[in-house]
Amino acid sequence: MERNARRVLVIEDDPDTAEQLAECLRNSRYEVDLAVDGRQGLALGLITNYVVMTVDRMLPRIDGIEVIRRLREDGIVTPTLIISALGEVDDRVRGLRAGGDDYLVKPFAFAELQARVDALARRSTTAMRETLLRVGDLEMDLLTRTAYRKGRAIELLPKEFQLLAYLVRHAGQVVPRAMLLQHVWDLHFDPMTNVLDVYVGRLRRKVDGERAYPLIHTVRGVGFCLRAPD
Amino acid sequence: MLLTRTLKSSTFRVAVICIAVFSGAIVALLGFVYWATADYVHRRCDAEISADRASLVQAYEKAGRDVLVNTINQRIVGRGIEAGIYLLLDPSLGVLAGNLKGWPPALHRIQGWADFEAPEAAGHLLLRGTYETLSDGSHLLVGRSLDDLDRFVGIIKTALLYGAIWALVLATVAGVSVTRRTVGRIEAINATTRAIMQNGLGTRIPLRGTRDEWDHLANNLNAMLDRIEKLMREVRQVSDNVAHDLRTPLTRLRGRLERAYHAGLNPEGYHALIADSMRELDTVLGTFSSLLRISRIEALDPSGAFRIIDLDQVAGEVAELFDAAAEAKDGHVKFQSAGRVPVLGDRDLLFDAISNLLDNAVTHGGGDVHVTVCDNDQGPTISVADRGPGIPLEERPHVLKRFYRIERSRSSPGHGLGLSLVTAVAQLHRARLEMEDNSPGLKIRLRFPPVVTGSSLSVAPGASGTYC
Repeated sequence: MERNARRVLVIEDDPDTAEQLAECLRNSRYEVDLAVDGRQGLALGLITNYVVMTVDRMLPRIDGIEVIRRLREDGIVTPTLIISALGEVDDRVRGLRAGGDDYLVKPFAFAELQARVDALARRSTTAMRETLLRVGDLEMDLLTRTAYRKGRAIELLPKEFQLLAYLVRHAGQVVPRAMLLQHVWDLHFDPMTNVLDVYVGRLRRKVDGERAYPLIHTVRGVGFCLRAPD
Repeated sequence: MLLTRTLKSSTFRVAVICIAVFSGAIVALLGFVYWATADYVHRRCDAEISADRASLVQAYEKAGRDVLVNTINQRIVGRGIEAGIYLLLDPSLGVLAGNLKGWPPALHRIQGWADFEAPEAAGHLLLRGTYETLSDGSHLLVGRSLDDLDRFVGIIKTALLYGAIWALVLATVAGVSVTRRTVGRIEAINATTRAIMQNGLGTRIPLRGTRDEWDHLANNLNAMLDRIEKLMREVRQVSDNVAHDLRTPLTRLRGRLERAYHAGLNPEGYHALIADSMRELDTVLGTFSSLLRISRIEALDPSGAFRIIDLDQVAGEVAELFDAAAEAKDGHVKFQSAGRVPVLGDRDLLFDAISNLLDNAVTHGGGDVHVTVCDNDQGPTISVADRGPGIPLEERPHVLKRFYRIERSRSSPGHGLGLSLVTAVAQLHRARLEMEDNSPGLKIRLRFPPVVTGSSLSVAPGASGTYC
């Protein structure tokens, strides 16, 4: 079974939401298969090799969590994004424990969905665990916890370093705010303030201030993106 | 009405069972006394009869029948039947001597023991005796009256009867009064519940001041009703506020869309309009999420997900995160901690609560904000102090309510839910929230209950007495 690098399975029972999800993913040049309930989703997931699946938490016939559990039992390791209106920690934990890889709470911005699906799709193709990261003239040594730009050291606080490393690892991708909070601060809620933007703003001043070109970009309403000019 | 309820009540059934068991016990006790006494009387009687008989038979064997007749006559002369019964008959059943008029018909064998009625018509006298046929064919009967035993049985029977009647009367009175009392108290509770179902939560169960278990129950139920009433009032107030706070931006949004629908804008105009609308909707959704989050926190069961969290570490991370925001207002978040300060809690929620405190301090305070974590004899404590305008004393209880915003901050961004969330998190962690004047500014403190590790309270070494 050849893995189709751009084929995504969307399991969602509400037709309008399903169509929006599909259109949003097609805009990111994915091919989308739709399943309207758990049983259909399970059947498609078992016979086709998808690059990413998105599963609604509450589905008719077979619950979303149950679909993931059964797929995992059958050895299907396709990265899975759980989409749910239930956002509290216990729900996330149950979803992730059943074998989900990421969790997105309704309502969400489509850009965030794209970013998360991209991250999962990339994860299923590449594994990166280098200790030296480099984007443009920015270098990071994860072992000595030092960062340089054009050879000049950047003074960073521990969390700032972690944040920058995460952005560098996902260079070129849009990283949603919630993903940063999740991976850098281990938080599973949105503080609903602009404090993260201000924090990244200060990091940007340290990294980009008076340099040849900026690396950290804000993507309005979604999050941040670190990329070097071509 | 009350009688039927009394008879149907489970307490009364228990009382009836108790009465039955009690009466059974009395009957068994008296029965045993009767049986033991009768046995004793019988045995003593038998021993006397045997001795009497032995001496008579001995006289007969030594000296013959005539001496025996004499001996018997000596024994009965001038004495009543109670002293002893003797009867000697010749082989043709003619009476030779004795104080009975004839051979009792019950004694028809050659010899043996028997209980029998006196053949005379004078009352039913119960007798016991041994009888035999002597070597010359005459018949001898020696016995005693069982009248004593008879009287004793009479006493036992009377005692049994009166005892049973008294026990029944007393038990019934006790059973009915206990049942009435129980039914009465339960009826009071039932009446209150009915009143609540009909008229709402205002009614309370009356207390009798007896401090018994019924008063305890009534007290607890009343406390529960108080809590429910408070929650209901809060829910009502919150839904009013939700209606207001959500309706305002939604109305604004609708108005803007309606105007745009009729106006016919250029593409840039539409673009700006849509961006504004999305921002407005995000605010509404944010308010919604915060509300849901607060009610979820209030409904959480703390025992499940709580673990030991280092309060100083969480507070340090929040302080660092907000330092950037404070810098934008020409200040800093200054963090100070007395070493490791463990609390039992949920990291996400603690982070969220401290974020809200710092957000308020940075937004409304301006300048430096001091975050201090310490662990003294009053438990692990975090305090957030700013140099802003503070909160007037009379406003302090209100700022913890949902959607409450003090007058001067009405125009600034925010939805008035931050401190409600802090309150909910504090309650879940059984932490005390204190506000005091930082002159100028506000100092908010969260005091957590001490973490009990093993048997000793954990107080960070050297940190006791630290004021924060």
